[in-house]
Amino acid sequence: MGRYITQRLVYMVITMFLIATFTFFLMKFLPGTPLSSADRLSEEQQAIVLAKYGLDEPIPVQYFNYMVNLLQGDMGVSFQFDNREVTTIILDRIGPSLQLGFQAMIIGTILGMLLGLISAIYHNGVLDYGSTFTAVLGQSIPSFVFAGILQYFVGVKLGWFPVALWGTWQHTVLPTIALAIFPLAIAARFMRTEMLEVMGSDYITTARAKGVNKFGVVFKHGVRNALIPLITVLGPLAIGLMTGTLVIENIFAVPGIGEQFVKSINTNDYPIIMGTTLFFAVFFILIVLVIDLLYGVIDPRIRLAEGE
Amino acid sequence: MDKLLEVKNMHVSFDTYGGEVQAVRGVNFSLNKGETLAIVGESGSGKSVTTKALMKLIPMPPGRIKEGEILFEGRDLAKLSEKEMQKIRGKEISMIFQDPMTSLNPTMKVGNQIAEGLIKHQKLSKSAAKSRVIELLELVGIPDPENRMKQYPHQFSGGMRQRVVVAIALACNPKLLIADEPTTALDVTIQAQILELMKDIQKKTDSGTIFITHDLGVVANVADRVAVMYAGRIVEIGTVDDIFYNPKHPYTWGLLGSMPSLDAEVSELYAIPGSPPDLLNPPKGDAFAPRNEYAMQIDREQEPPLFKVSETHYAATWLLHEHAPDIDPPEAIKKRMAAMASSDSRKGERV
Repeated sequence: MGRYITQRLVYMVITMFLIATFTFFLMKFLPGTPLSSADRLSEEQQAIVLAKYGLDEPIPVQYFNYMVNLLQGDMGVSFQFDNREVTTIILDRIGPSLQLGFQAMIIGTILGMLLGLISAIYHNGVLDYGSTFTAVLGQSIPSFVFAGILQYFVGVKLGWFPVALWGTWQHTVLPTIALAIFPLAIAARFMRTEMLEVMGSDYITTARAKGVNKFGVVFKHGVRNALIPLITVLGPLAIGLMTGTLVIENIFAVPGIGEQFVKSINTNDYPIIMGTTLFFAVFFILIVLVIDLLYGVIDPRIRLAEGE
Repeated sequence: MDKLLEVKNMHVSFDTYGGEVQAVRGVNFSLNKGETLAIVGESGSGKSVTTKALMKLIPMPPGRIKEGEILFEGRDLAKLSEKEMQKIRGKEISMIFQDPMTSLNPTMKVGNQIAEGLIKHQKLSKSAAKSRVIELLELVGIPDPENRMKQYPHQFSGGMRQRVVVAIALACNPKLLIADEPTTALDVTIQAQILELMKDIQKKTDSGTIFITHDLGVVANVADRVAVMYAGRIVEIGTVDDIFYNPKHPYTWGLLGSMPSLDAEVSELYAIPGSPPDLLNPPKGDAFAPRNEYAMQIDREQEPPLFKVSETHYAATWLLHEHAPDIDPPEAIKKRMAAMASSDSRKGERV
């Protein structure tokens, strides 16, 4: 187990290196420079600023310098925010994003699973049609449309929750719902299909033949087996949430990392782009690792052999 | 002899979009304590549905027990609620399933799967259940039970899994054991082991057994009595000797004729022409008539009742009617029966 995780961490470093390299060069293809909007500066002043940040060097040299600094844990300073360190900016901004992401993930998958479970238990009943309809809606309405609808009806018309900005827990409600609807829909549809299949399998009949009641059959024998394929989609869902936050944070003006990311792309704030990308990458890779480990917890057939 | 189970005129139907599929159409049989009844018949003859209906394990809906009585120690199971059935399943009646690769829960330790019934029905403590599980695993011949009970099904071979399935069924000492083709999915050497195991256990526990199979070789090995099913009915029922040495129904002749034999004299393997009828619209008259070369006019018009051949032996064919012509089984089948009889008498097992 320890060896397996070490191995995965080594792969992670390699992946990070590749991502850093690709992003660096892609970023340099972005039109304009960090000074594009700084018309007030004269040519000489611009040259001084560029030299100060090492942007006057050839791109391969810039790349080399960046990687050396990165290895030492230095991600540079932001161009637009008074020379603040990238690390500090990310750390400042990460809270709201993580909170939104986790809330949406947990609420979305748990509610979605319950919805799917209800669908499967009351197969072809009114409850099944209701939850399937919800799931189809949730999957087909884009999150930014849904966000707008929430803002207008729940925020403005009903006035139950703040329309935008960040502060109290009430501020998190609407963006969380907007983010959660997609994972909810996916989890519900997946859970329904899997559960129906599991409930038709032979070992469920075996359990019933033992005299196990309906509750025991569903929860003790059914759910765990239905979860295995569901875990597979959790990874992509979590990643979808991350990209979802980019949009949702902008709509709800949440001071999160996604909102920051979009802003820095617009202003060619290279160090922030690099830092945020690398942060997202680390996050994704860790999620995938956690999901791979989760498989083993739920499905004994893919548990790693002892001593490996 | 004590009657353990008596099934009276049981009808089981499935309501589908196409209409009502009459899977079982009036089945009657009884079973005594310590007795083994084999139910044979080709796929779709209703043998599995019959036994699943006894435990009410068919999906309801679409399935339903349309009419009839299932008297188990005098109680009519057909009238019991799902809650009451849960008290009977696994405790009084349990089932051994066909495919050991799919009938165990892949994410649950084998020991827990066996203990589940014990904890539910006998209210055993965890530790008491554990020692009983070890006992059961030993009974079904799984070595090193202390460690094996902590393993998952995928760590067992097919034969070993089927032993686990047997152990689950035996956990609460059921009075009635239903084995639904327990050896069909196993290879031949393992088949023999599991059959021996089941015979052994039955001797020890004296439970009644219903054994579903389409393998007549297995029947001769394990059963006391045999019921032959066709198109949702029992067409012939009798002791093993009745069915093997004095079969009366043309369908039974066909089944026996299609059994491979090692005897050189009987080189040809017989196949019953055609296929079983569609039970969505069961044919008028005898369901076997279209495939029956001895069918008479009446077979196409009226369903034959069960004619009594002897105290133990009944068959549903108009050939047994007093006005019917005397028809002998086909030569090939007679030869085969003679060959079987002589090989048996040489071994001195029967006659």
